[in-house]
Amino acid sequence: MIEKLKTSIECFRNESLINKIKILWLFLFIPGLLGFIIKFASGERLTGYGSYVPWGLWIAVYFHAVGISGGAFAVGVIGYLRGVRGLRENLTTTLLLSAVSLVTGLLAIWLDLGRPFRAYRVMVSPNFASMLDFNAWMYSIFLGLVALMLFLSIKKRAHGQVNDKTGWLVPLLLLGVVLSIAYPSQSGAFFGVVDAKPFWSSAILPVLFLTSAVTSGASALLVVHYYLQRESAALTSPDEEPFPYLRKIILAGIAVYFMGEFSEYSLALWSPISHIKEVILLVLFGRFWWVFWVIHVGGALVGFYLIFRSQTIHRLAFGALIIVTSFISTRLNILIPGQSIPELKGLKEAFTHSRLNFNYSPTMVEYLITMFVVAFGLALFHFSREFLKFYIAKQDGGQQ
Amino acid sequence: MAKKSKSRLPEKSGDTISPEYNGDEVFDEKSYVLTPVDRKRAISLIGAAIGVGVLSTVVSRFIPNPPVPEGNATVRSIPPLQRGDMEGDVLIRMQNELRRAMARPMEERRWLMVIDTRKCVGCHACTVACIAENKLPPGVVYRPVITEQQGKYPRQVTRFFPRPCMQCDNPSCVSVCPVRATWKRPDGVVIVDYDKCIGCRYCLTACPYGARTSDFGNYYTEHTPEIQPYEKQPSHEYNKSWSREGHSSPVGNARKCHFCLHRLEQGLLPQCVSTCIGRANYFGDANDATSLVAEMARASNQVRLLEEKGTKPVVIYLV
Repeated sequence: MIEKLKTSIECFRNESLINKIKILWLFLFIPGLLGFIIKFASGERLTGYGSYVPWGLWIAVYFHAVGISGGAFAVGVIGYLRGVRGLRENLTTTLLLSAVSLVTGLLAIWLDLGRPFRAYRVMVSPNFASMLDFNAWMYSIFLGLVALMLFLSIKKRAHGQVNDKTGWLVPLLLLGVVLSIAYPSQSGAFFGVVDAKPFWSSAILPVLFLTSAVTSGASALLVVHYYLQRESAALTSPDEEPFPYLRKIILAGIAVYFMGEFSEYSLALWSPISHIKEVILLVLFGRFWWVFWVIHVGGALVGFYLIFRSQTIHRLAFGALIIVTSFISTRLNILIPGQSIPELKGLKEAFTHSRLNFNYSPTMVEYLITMFVVAFGLALFHFSREFLKFYIAKQDGGQQ
Repeated sequence: MAKKSKSRLPEKSGDTISPEYNGDEVFDEKSYVLTPVDRKRAISLIGAAIGVGVLSTVVSRFIPNPPVPEGNATVRSIPPLQRGDMEGDVLIRMQNELRRAMARPMEERRWLMVIDTRKCVGCHACTVACIAENKLPPGVVYRPVITEQQGKYPRQVTRFFPRPCMQCDNPSCVSVCPVRATWKRPDGVVIVDYDKCIGCRYCLTACPYGARTSDFGNYYTEHTPEIQPYEKQPSHEYNKSWSREGHSSPVGNARKCHFCLHRLEQGLLPQCVSTCIGRANYFGDANDATSLVAEMARASNQVRLLEEKGTKPVVIYLV
């Protein structure tokens, strides 16, 4: 048995990167699809969230994906305008990564809705006083803008100019940068406006969400550029752009995030009467202590070390991959503990049911759906790129 | 850390980096300098976006709630209760006051609940009666009873706080709804339109009292040979018939206490009030100064839950 496993691992190691990704994708997709089918057959009956902790893993995935989308766009487009090599030549990749991450996040929250087929009502019957609705409109406008920018950037191909002939690409990119900074910050405001949860009702939350978005977005961009170079068998060194540009942003992002987090936690722990101390102790030493110490702190330390010290492109990309995955903890550590302390003491004991509980653990279906969402995002990115290549080739053929 | 970044251009496109990665464009790597036209266009676009965002948010706060019947359409003529043998019972008095209130249009009524914790014995009859009345599935509860214990045995005091929806005057659950599926009626009751609710559960997180629960589609008898017919019976909340069969609303929706509006329409007190064995609940129209509930609401020994949240809860507790 162990021999067989060793042989399988050896075979896997010998595979090309593309094949490795395909195999890993299947590992995500097949169980994920099963979870997807179960979800649609059983509704929300097999989920772990309830009425006192109504938002769980999928919402964390949603906010993480939205963060990657905004961060990747802002970092990629600013790099494009600043003339960072690699980013300037691959604007379409930046735009695609941003759009695909956003759509992936929207899939996660769509699956979380109790009545998913009424989601259109957010657009037809809006309430802009709700941060959720404001965000939904912002995403829609942003996706429309990205589509327009993609069109203009493809049209201007081979002109060797940053702006397109109409002169609208750069102004649109600048508007996109503003929006891509706004909506990850709004994700923080989404929680910040909920006065019922003292842990969420903090002015630092939008800043933390934005920092997390920029860090994970830059990490995702780095991983994607590594993949693109591997795919085209043209690996450069970590000293060649866009890697130095991206690694500086990631390192700064990690440092700023932890400074912000430290300032919030230390203030609450120092104060003898802080109303969020209980939540912070739950984050640090509660049932999910490992999410904070192992995934969040451990992931950030390992990622930081690899990105800071790496002399090879592979280790650098691995460090970025660790950051882009482990930074979901920045969402989980805000989302779940914030809901886990009741404002009304005794509410938990007042009526006993698994849905009326302040202890949340994701169920198997929630993990499977998360795998499905990630597999969906990867596939969407791949096929969008393939489609674009096909479209460009067709256009070029037509022109000739 | 990288020593020095090398951002030299390839000698020609596709030289050191394949065209597939690098694109087939040869760019100048210098930072792009915005032209006056770029600046003008970018400022116009960003300004327009900020303007639209601010305008939509401000306008949204002034959009009135969805229309509900008002005026004569809400006036009910309910025959008086003939129970001479129970004339002194507070329930009979409140029932008659309810009849009086229903004879006025909705906008002239303001429903109020007062709970006397000194009379509550913690029997949970109100919780169970509410579940039966509204056919609530597992995990959905409108009126749990919170037990509060102070001191240590033998010097211990136990108090019970039934917790219906507080029907707040400044409800934090309403403004967060992205689809305007919940609002406060003119008579003070915060309601949910099950046909509009998308089940995002934002309102659940926004309520500091935990007064909203989500219907996850469970049944008490779902792991038995047959889901019992009584679980499939429709509820009559908001004066409509709601069958949960086939994953229909209110499955997937946010649900909450609505002071049994469907019973009020028939001249009946909310089920929790009728059921209370200690007569600890007072319910009626706060605009009727002579009503029992208005009388009780004038007591000085009153508290409201989590008043510091600024939600202005309507339910009053006498301690």
